[in-house]
Amino acid sequence: MVKAYINGTGCISPQNSIDSEWFFDDVNPAKGDYFDAIEPSYKEFIAPNLLRRMGRAIKMGVAAGNIAIQQADVKKVDAIITGTGLGCFEDSERFLLAILNNDEQFLTPTSFIQSTHNTVGSQIALIMKCHDYNFTYVHRGFSFESTLQDALMLFAEGKETILIGGIEEHTPNFIILNRKAHKFQVQNPDNPIWKSTTPGIQLSEGTAFFVLNKTKTEKSIARVDGIQTLYKPKTSDDIWNKLQAFLKLHDLTLSDIDVTLMGFSGDVNFDSKLQELLPAIEKESVAACYKNICGEYHTASAFAMWTGTKLIEKQSLPKALAISDKSPSRIKHVLIMNQYLGINYSFMLLSQC
Amino acid sequence: MSQKVYITGLGMISAIGNNVPESFLSLTQSKTGIGKIHHLTTRYKDEFLAGEIKLSNSELADLVKDNNPALNRNSYIAMLAAKEAVINSGIDTTDGLRTGVISSTTVAGMSKTELYYKELFEKDDHLDVLDTHDCGDSTERIADYLGNVDYVTTISTACSSAANAIMLGCRMIKHGQLDRVVVGGVDALSKFTFNGFNTLMILDREWCKPFDENRKGLNLGEGAAFVVIEGENALNLRKGKALAEIIGYANTNDAYHQTASSPEGYGATMAIQQALEMSGLKPTDVDYINMHGTGTPNNDLSESKATIAVFGNQVPKFSSTKAFTGHTLAAAASIEAVISVLSLQNSMIFPNLNFTTPIIETGLIPETKLVNIPLNTILSNSFGFGGNCSSLLFKKV
Repeated sequence: MVKAYINGTGCISPQNSIDSEWFFDDVNPAKGDYFDAIEPSYKEFIAPNLLRRMGRAIKMGVAAGNIAIQQADVKKVDAIITGTGLGCFEDSERFLLAILNNDEQFLTPTSFIQSTHNTVGSQIALIMKCHDYNFTYVHRGFSFESTLQDALMLFAEGKETILIGGIEEHTPNFIILNRKAHKFQVQNPDNPIWKSTTPGIQLSEGTAFFVLNKTKTEKSIARVDGIQTLYKPKTSDDIWNKLQAFLKLHDLTLSDIDVTLMGFSGDVNFDSKLQELLPAIEKESVAACYKNICGEYHTASAFAMWTGTKLIEKQSLPKALAISDKSPSRIKHVLIMNQYLGINYSFMLLSQC
Repeated sequence: MSQKVYITGLGMISAIGNNVPESFLSLTQSKTGIGKIHHLTTRYKDEFLAGEIKLSNSELADLVKDNNPALNRNSYIAMLAAKEAVINSGIDTTDGLRTGVISSTTVAGMSKTELYYKELFEKDDHLDVLDTHDCGDSTERIADYLGNVDYVTTISTACSSAANAIMLGCRMIKHGQLDRVVVGGVDALSKFTFNGFNTLMILDREWCKPFDENRKGLNLGEGAAFVVIEGENALNLRKGKALAEIIGYANTNDAYHQTASSPEGYGATMAIQQALEMSGLKPTDVDYINMHGTGTPNNDLSESKATIAVFGNQVPKFSSTKAFTGHTLAAAASIEAVISVLSLQNSMIFPNLNFTTPIIETGLIPETKLVNIPLNTILSNSFGFGGNCSSLLFKKV
């Protein structure tokens, strides 16, 4: 089975993840029922002539990709694969409103051009002059997972270095409308995210990019052992059985998993199956969460993979992510169990290398 | 990794027909589906032509036999085409083999979102568009409509999207991750895309003329097409029948400009060459090319040059079928995959309509009449915004 080595990461999130020294200290709370990403000063990463025209998702994606590439210290990649649930939503909305407000007149093409979901991947290709494989996945809570699955197949097909990333942005109107549809809630500080009894997520945004390498190098931080997606599992038992099989495929059992990062979103309707599984996970592994600090979005699993990589690198489980007082004695294997809307579930397995 | 991958079922709905037999009839009769705009609400409806599906949303709902108000045009047509492909293939998704759905779309639920977007701020009536606007929605609708689907994902690489869905499906079968996959693409016509292409000034107000010196742009279309692809192991197990084999594919990036193709067609040249390389065929083995051929000045010149770069002075017979269907964006490559299989099965090249004058710079002349000729190997190209270039190679079985 093909594995991949993580040689560089770049992450823009509601936290200070852009700072390579940051390790889950000074955690920013949500702004009520949503999080905003903390955006860096982009001119360090993107040429001013390009920066001017770029929407926020493009800037966040290109910058995070750039950081990952710098960290991995590579000049070229053999493939660029991005994942995004809503793509360049700000540009889409801008062009749509221009159409609706001006009765289809006086339009300029810039926001239409940039509204295309593959804009981030193609901008990175343009900047890097990368003529190779370029794919964009746009499937809800599988958008980022699909990039990783694809990369592992490409390694088996002979590629050596691949850039993957998840990108999501929100807009003020998007927040207003989804709030109106009762999709969000302010998290009750007395009721942690893994014990929610009420519906509503905390909407968020962010990007996380990874330079993956087929072979281990001195830059390698952690290893990706496998990925699996589950579409609409019926019960928590289904997920449990699939998880056992997934771990078995990698010659592991749950007791080998030092930290299990679980995708609790704070919405009881979506989290119920993970809530049911939590006691069994805690029995053999150390359970932790991440959406309490990154919020919920289609590609939150990219933040989770960034988090898992950090845990392996630092060999420590920060308090901000902990569910119980248990702390792992070492962090050799990290399992990410993400869920999105209680429909898209995934397992991603990371290991020390 | 050496397992062969076959196309075993076809499904398609577009301006030239609501299913594959209707589409085939239109193709053999050189009957375009592009005409006056009826369904799309736009102030330009009398100024431009489009390749619309000839059914209203309520007629589509009747065909799908689902009155769920959350369904939009994108989902209706995707479900219809996917179901047709599955029925055509004869696969049984309950037989325990692993079935995937890999779809693609560019604007997804926009055709409905744009009708209600402003109203959403004042009323609560159509808030469901928030759940159906994204690209994954129609894919999951297909999966649930077919039932017993183990894997879903969605691709969006502009106008090459469905080619990439087909390619990914092939790879997942070869990697042993799935036994068979329903692959394709869908895009319903929207005011959003119509105005987008109009501001780029690449819409022809008359019928598009791919590869003609005097071409002025494309006609937008809408449609959905899916093919069932199966690994030879799964196909042999159920003693199914193959319609064609997929023997080559490649994905490259032009990395030249966000929307325009490079003048020399660098990305396209590489995509065609790499697809050929994978198949082990020589350029002279290609009997016919179903071109991307949108009718825009930029694409057709760039694609012509790429074709010459690969095939030299032995350019195979070629045509663009976009003057039948219009440019259906994410669905284009799967519609053209269905058309390519029909060409292989029936030994027919469908004509490049509206062509009169070759491009001076290249002198290439497409087939302008229906040609009856045995075909073994067909190349199909699809290129998109963002420099995405994809080529597929189909072989007769």
